[in-house]
Amino acid sequence: MLSKAKLRVTTISSVQARAKTVILSKVNTPLFYLDHAAATPVDDRVMAAMQPYFSDAFFNPSAPYAPAIEVRRAYDEAKRTLAHCIGARADELVMTAGATESINLAFAATDGHVVTAAIEHHAVLAATQKRPHTLVQPDERGFISADSIKTAITDTTTLVSIALANNELGTVQPLRAIAEVVKQVRQDRLDRGDHTPIFFHSDASQGVGQLDIMVSRLGVDMLTLNAGKMYGPKQTGLLWANSAVMLSPQIVGGGQERGLRSGTENVPAVIGFAAALSLATKHRKSEVERLTKLRDALQNQLTEAFPKAIISGHPRHRLAGHLHISFSGLDAERVLFALENRHVYVATGSACAANKGTRSHVLEAIGMSPQEADGSLRLTLGHLSNDENIAEAGKMIIEELRREMERTGQS
Amino acid sequence: MTKVYVGMSGGVDSSVTAALLKEQGYDVTGVYMKNWTQDLPGMRCPWADDLADAKRVAVQLGIDFKVFDFETEYKHKVVDYMIDEYKHGRTPNPDIMCNQEVKFRLFLDAALADGADMIATGHYAKVQDGSLQMATDTSKDQTYFLYRVTREALEKTLFPLGGFDKSKVREMAEDRGLVTARKKDSQGICFVGQIGIREFLSQYVEQKPGDVIDKTSGKTMGRHDGAIFYTIGQRHGLDIGGGLPYYVVGKDMERNEVFITTDLNDEAFWQPTLDLADVHWIDGQQPTGTLQIRVRHRAPLVDAEIESLESGVRLHIPHPERAVAPGQSVVIYQHGVCLGGGIVTGAPVLSEHA
Repeated sequence: MLSKAKLRVTTISSVQARAKTVILSKVNTPLFYLDHAAATPVDDRVMAAMQPYFSDAFFNPSAPYAPAIEVRRAYDEAKRTLAHCIGARADELVMTAGATESINLAFAATDGHVVTAAIEHHAVLAATQKRPHTLVQPDERGFISADSIKTAITDTTTLVSIALANNELGTVQPLRAIAEVVKQVRQDRLDRGDHTPIFFHSDASQGVGQLDIMVSRLGVDMLTLNAGKMYGPKQTGLLWANSAVMLSPQIVGGGQERGLRSGTENVPAVIGFAAALSLATKHRKSEVERLTKLRDALQNQLTEAFPKAIISGHPRHRLAGHLHISFSGLDAERVLFALENRHVYVATGSACAANKGTRSHVLEAIGMSPQEADGSLRLTLGHLSNDENIAEAGKMIIEELRREMERTGQS
Repeated sequence: MTKVYVGMSGGVDSSVTAALLKEQGYDVTGVYMKNWTQDLPGMRCPWADDLADAKRVAVQLGIDFKVFDFETEYKHKVVDYMIDEYKHGRTPNPDIMCNQEVKFRLFLDAALADGADMIATGHYAKVQDGSLQMATDTSKDQTYFLYRVTREALEKTLFPLGGFDKSKVREMAEDRGLVTARKKDSQGICFVGQIGIREFLSQYVEQKPGDVIDKTSGKTMGRHDGAIFYTIGQRHGLDIGGGLPYYVVGKDMERNEVFITTDLNDEAFWQPTLDLADVHWIDGQQPTGTLQIRVRHRAPLVDAEIESLESGVRLHIPHPERAVAPGQSVVIYQHGVCLGGGIVTGAPVLSEHA
């Protein structure tokens, strides 16, 4: 019945200091949420910012009367805020219903050969499958080198798409170096009179609030953002594209978003998105510090208890809240269910260990054995994490891992 | 310690089955049988939640858990059989075939080969010395679905729920805090899913429009899109507006005609004799004396006399049950023991129109 339990937020505290206390159903049960990479709760300040635009200020921003014009102003202001946070101009943003749509829009800007990585999110991989493409393999840390991108680019390559950070391992990619490669290719083409365009797109769904996402410093031509992973509303995203990119609308209609994405503007969501990104930007430094400490403490707690545990992801270039840990031969899904009974929510390396074909393509790409992949837990920390609940979650994770190892006679 | 493999579907019955056996001291392993389902591209597979629930319960109980993949065999033995029977104008029962071919043959064999001593399922039925007996909760009794299971299989089977009422089973699940305690019972044929048998079949059988004829007047009343979609006694799905409800009373497969009537007393609905083929007797012996029969799951038991035929048996039924279609199973009982049964023969043709 847990899955149907309603999560109700009762007490509110600052992002930095204390995590929220959440009431599960009617029972006063603390929540141990270690899956921030999958979804984040909407921040109360974000919720407050959105609230008026559902009811009092519900007007269609395209309508001509005064209150609607007020809504339009607020919407435009929100887009300026979003643009400001990434060092871009508001008229370079297209608001979308989530990151997947943003990625699809980015891919539709070109046709021709695509270079991307084998560890990309399914949204990127599925869009890639439709085109001639080369999948670059990561190293065992999930790191994509600029050199491997360079090797993969052909004369017909029009798009390189590499996520800012990998959602499973938390490995942060060297976008700047990859951007230099793309720039060099572009220059070489121009030098020999070849006008085939080449753009660099990055899905930054993971890592906002932890990494620098100023587009000029990333060196990208297109950037995808996702409010649902940064304490904003779900199904809310954007695509930033610089002026060299000619976007091709995928959803046509009333001509909103400069004709690039029709449909009445999702005003409350975009206002929430702006509030969420502002907060993430403002608290980035202290939050990274806080999460790094928490994550490292949890990692130490687990590796002390299980010296044979394998930590994956890049040791240095890794998201602060990410911990990917594997126990060869363990059925991680059993541990997930056991933890679920204690209100500890984690992710595993496979959707359903007993079902063939659903093992993580990311773990496969970094060369992890099936035994290790099936024994993998992904623990991702965020606003709901604090010293106490992470220490206690760590204790319960250790207990359930021990129980499972004893049951199967390994330990 | 006796090693028992429990078929766990992710429902409350099989969850309690596993819990009870563990408490009784058996060495219990939960097994999810992966049967055939229509996987729609890009969609979340419908059985994933059930598999996860079965595994959740196994984790709660601290028992081993395995997945046996019977997808290919199930498609062949159960799904194809069902489609083929419908194509021939009959009304098959895939659940019975699933028990005969999958649960009490493939699963049993695979479990034994894997080291099990016995298997168990959450069926409401009892086994005593290899004989199949009705469950204590007569409203839930599932022996109708089990009549084709062999005695050898039954001797290796445990039905721990046979002595309990369904409400008691739910209560036991609640008491043990099993996550499936309040899960809704599954309805209908599992692999058909939410879409309904008609829509399911129409993916495998060509739609062929034909006439709907009033049996009494001989008048054409409307059109249908394939006689195979209709079963005797069926009320719904006839595209005829107004008046008294019509029921399907027969069909001519060759001419693709469906006959209907408003008269529930029509003799075709109340057959005093039923011929059965593919007869299966659990202890290998055709019974004698006064018997009771059941023509569908949960139908009342009615008296019948049995007569041997070359190709099976004929049942003489003084007080017949309404609308028994060819292809359906009639199950035979004596003193609360399920002896076996057979499949109703005959083409669904009305003699006066044939």
